[in-house]
Amino acid sequence: MEGVEPKRGKFIGQRVKRVEDPRFLTGEARYIADLPIAHCLSVAFLRSPHGHAEIRSIDTSRAAAMPGVVRILTASDLESLPPLEDKVALAELKKTPQLVIAKGRVRFVGEIVAAVLAHNRYVAEDAADRIDVEYDPLPAVTTVEQALDGKSPLLHDPLGDNIVYQKKFSHGDVAKAFAAADHVFKATYRHNRFMAASMETRGYMAHYERASGRLTAWGSTQAPHMERLLLSSYLGIPEHKIHYIVPEVGGGFGLKFPVYPEEIITAVLSRMVGQPVRWIEDRREHLTSSTHAKEQIIDLEVAVKSDGALLGMKARCIGDAGAYSFNSTSALIEPMVAGTMMPGIYKLDNYDYEVMAVVTNKTPVGPYRGIGWTAGNSAREMLFDEIARALHIDRADFRRQNMIEPDDFPYTTCTGSHYDQGSYQESLNLALKEIGYADFLSRQAELRGQGRYLGIGFCAWVEQSAWGTDAAAQSGLPAPSHDNVSVRIDPSGKVVVSAGISSHGQGLETTLAQLAAEVLGVKLEDVRIVHGDTDSVPFGMGTYASRSAVIGGGALQKAATQVREKLLKVAGQLLEADPQDLVLEGGRVSVAGVPAKTLSMADIAGAAYFLPSVRTEGSEWLAATCFYDPKATYSNGCCAVIAEVDVETGVVKLQPIVTVEDCGTMLNPMIVEGQTHGAIAQAIGAALLEDLHYDETGQLTTTTYMDYLLPTTTEVPNMRVLHLETPSPWTVMGIKGMGEGGLIGAPAAVINAVVDALAPFGVEARELPLSPDRIFRLLRDAQSRPAAPA
Amino acid sequence: MATGGDPRILRLVVNGDSRIGVAEPRMLLVDFIRHELGLTGTHAGCEHGVCGACNVRMNGSVVRSCLVFAVQADGAEIETVESLAGRDGSMHPLQVAFQEHHGLQCGFCTPGFLVAGLEVLRDNPDPTEAEIRQALSGNLCRCTGYVGIVKAIRQAAITMRS
Repeated sequence: MEGVEPKRGKFIGQRVKRVEDPRFLTGEARYIADLPIAHCLSVAFLRSPHGHAEIRSIDTSRAAAMPGVVRILTASDLESLPPLEDKVALAELKKTPQLVIAKGRVRFVGEIVAAVLAHNRYVAEDAADRIDVEYDPLPAVTTVEQALDGKSPLLHDPLGDNIVYQKKFSHGDVAKAFAAADHVFKATYRHNRFMAASMETRGYMAHYERASGRLTAWGSTQAPHMERLLLSSYLGIPEHKIHYIVPEVGGGFGLKFPVYPEEIITAVLSRMVGQPVRWIEDRREHLTSSTHAKEQIIDLEVAVKSDGALLGMKARCIGDAGAYSFNSTSALIEPMVAGTMMPGIYKLDNYDYEVMAVVTNKTPVGPYRGIGWTAGNSAREMLFDEIARALHIDRADFRRQNMIEPDDFPYTTCTGSHYDQGSYQESLNLALKEIGYADFLSRQAELRGQGRYLGIGFCAWVEQSAWGTDAAAQSGLPAPSHDNVSVRIDPSGKVVVSAGISSHGQGLETTLAQLAAEVLGVKLEDVRIVHGDTDSVPFGMGTYASRSAVIGGGALQKAATQVREKLLKVAGQLLEADPQDLVLEGGRVSVAGVPAKTLSMADIAGAAYFLPSVRTEGSEWLAATCFYDPKATYSNGCCAVIAEVDVETGVVKLQPIVTVEDCGTMLNPMIVEGQTHGAIAQAIGAALLEDLHYDETGQLTTTTYMDYLLPTTTEVPNMRVLHLETPSPWTVMGIKGMGEGGLIGAPAAVINAVVDALAPFGVEARELPLSPDRIFRLLRDAQSRPAAPA
Repeated sequence: MATGGDPRILRLVVNGDSRIGVAEPRMLLVDFIRHELGLTGTHAGCEHGVCGACNVRMNGSVVRSCLVFAVQADGAEIETVESLAGRDGSMHPLQVAFQEHHGLQCGFCTPGFLVAGLEVLRDNPDPTEAEIRQALSGNLCRCTGYVGIVKAIRQAAITMRS
């Protein structure tokens, strides 16, 4: 297929400074906890301290008697509310209805047992402390093995076991491939449970007006219309009577996409008392009760020839879903995606895989940047490094040999991912060249001789984006998805864009304004982006899954183009010229070659609205709304890392990281780089530090930032991002989405760098993260001694 | 019974203005600044002193306002992120550098980094990258990977020296 040239323009592809920054820098930005709402009541939740227990009794009388307490809810007050349930349309997927307040039994530490509404948060928390609950603790299921052993307690009795999904898939002839193999390599990887841990916790506010039956709801969330739709279905309030507003959001990363019990309860309480009600999550609640992510056990078997040719693969991906198959995206968000996307950038025709999801007494698992790709990618890349080492083939050569090549596009994987265009080989080569791969390998032995253990790791990745209907189906989680964007020129000639996508740090107010300014030939400051308000913007599915630039951007480009045509038609009449001869630039329309014949946008817009002779009857005047549901498109990139391990302490120090990113036509390289930096920092946490740890009773032992370690300035090194631009032939302007790739590919790069550093000790890494204590134990347990320096 | 104890009247100087407010003895300084004084640029990120989003300057030193009771600040001089920009809204060189170098994304941690960053530059007008990283290791950011933040502080150091 012929490549398409990346689009460049006055604004598109330029490093435009973010227009939203000043309000964040000056402290004027208002997040949900900052919104000034008079006489707003506060909620606090009493949560289960047990991983698994029967609730014998709840006595709220002491709490209810406290001054300032307005209302207390337990499960018995909410009998009429439907339970939360996922909406994934797969017949084999069992449902695990989740009551917003636990009834009879608690299934994870942090599950809501009661809600207290009071005049302020301090009083609400005092009262929650005075609710007396008697529990009968039950044995907890805390591992996948226990969930599957047939002896452990059931979390949801109607299921008959703790398995919510199990299905085998087969592609090609795997038996034949394995029979033809010279070697079969196998390993089981335990991928850590970690989480988005956005800097702003969750928060919701609701104001129900009982006389009109209208609900205004605010949420620190990612998808306003989806929130409205789901609130409507759970609360029984018709959708047109719900106004959903998303204020500034302090990071989401997927975690703020689902609807949570706290959001439903906040709205229910407001409906009960007819007053505004707000709940702001604290950090401990965030760690126990916001969705966790990424925990899987992945078994891999790989059949290869001695020359490194990849013949076939078998995988079993088991997701530890926590206590419920969570409502938005189900327990399959991890293992289905890991299994389906396992072929990655490689040519793999023979592939059998099994996907399982089990429930355990842990916090439910939800979406987080890169979803199941992260674990699948890390497992495969760890094993591929082992294979290359065992076959005495250079690790990069082993990849190159089996990787999809430039002439192969468009390429359909055996599991049905349809890759449009990419630079897989080029990105690997560029990243390795820039980090100095060959030079490093030549110095490595010498450094080991000096007692310094350095290693290099790298990972080329492919990242699905444009999460519309097609992309969802290709990932194995079918659900229709699309977006609308409206573009409107007001009578003074300024532009307002209303988008269903919703920014929570991505800088969409800048990138969308760049696009609109480009198409309409206006200045950047003459465009305003409205988002996050269901009364002001057309229906959209929100911002997640690297979809906003490509779907929101595409819809905007289409709508702006229609508005441009309307505008030029008016200008043509005013300037007595053919619209085709007009030039739109710098907020003016001029006749090409006749610079004196020119009008400002304000002149044209004013005439369009108030001069009847230039109007056109029919579609929305000086405005257009476009709908867009593009085919899936795939970004790619490669991350390369050099790590030094202190073998006395197990501490890892990373050298500056090199990453290549290819997301097709870039709207703003600065923002692309920022997304890449952030995702890689999260990858460093994932690979080396972050671990949500449970003890055998189901107690979460990492409930503060002193136990759950996020990477800081001293763990995250400097990073260099290099760009390749391979536009998609299938999307508007060749845009591909991005933002997740760093957390898909970089964990494997970091892990493999550490494993490479430790190669002389013969350590076998099978469990993540590679935290200092785990590295220390791996070294202690390793039988071999350091090899003599070469 | 409500356990807050009798509210106290506090007098303090905040961003150069004399302010009076009421706080129960157990009220945290961060809640007092945000809800009693209405300065919501200071954020509560972890409420246990790790993340630095609630950093303010109190009597010349940067403190975690989630680890200080409001009553401890009675009579104190407090500076919050709102004090950085000029009264006319013009941004401080450090704020300008954050915008220039993409030192923020969701913006939630930003006020804490600005307060900490200014302190770095007060102590050391010409810090190396390593010194900046060491000095900022008590602040968490989940969006930027710190790349733009470190660059912005280096840039601001140059601007502020000149």
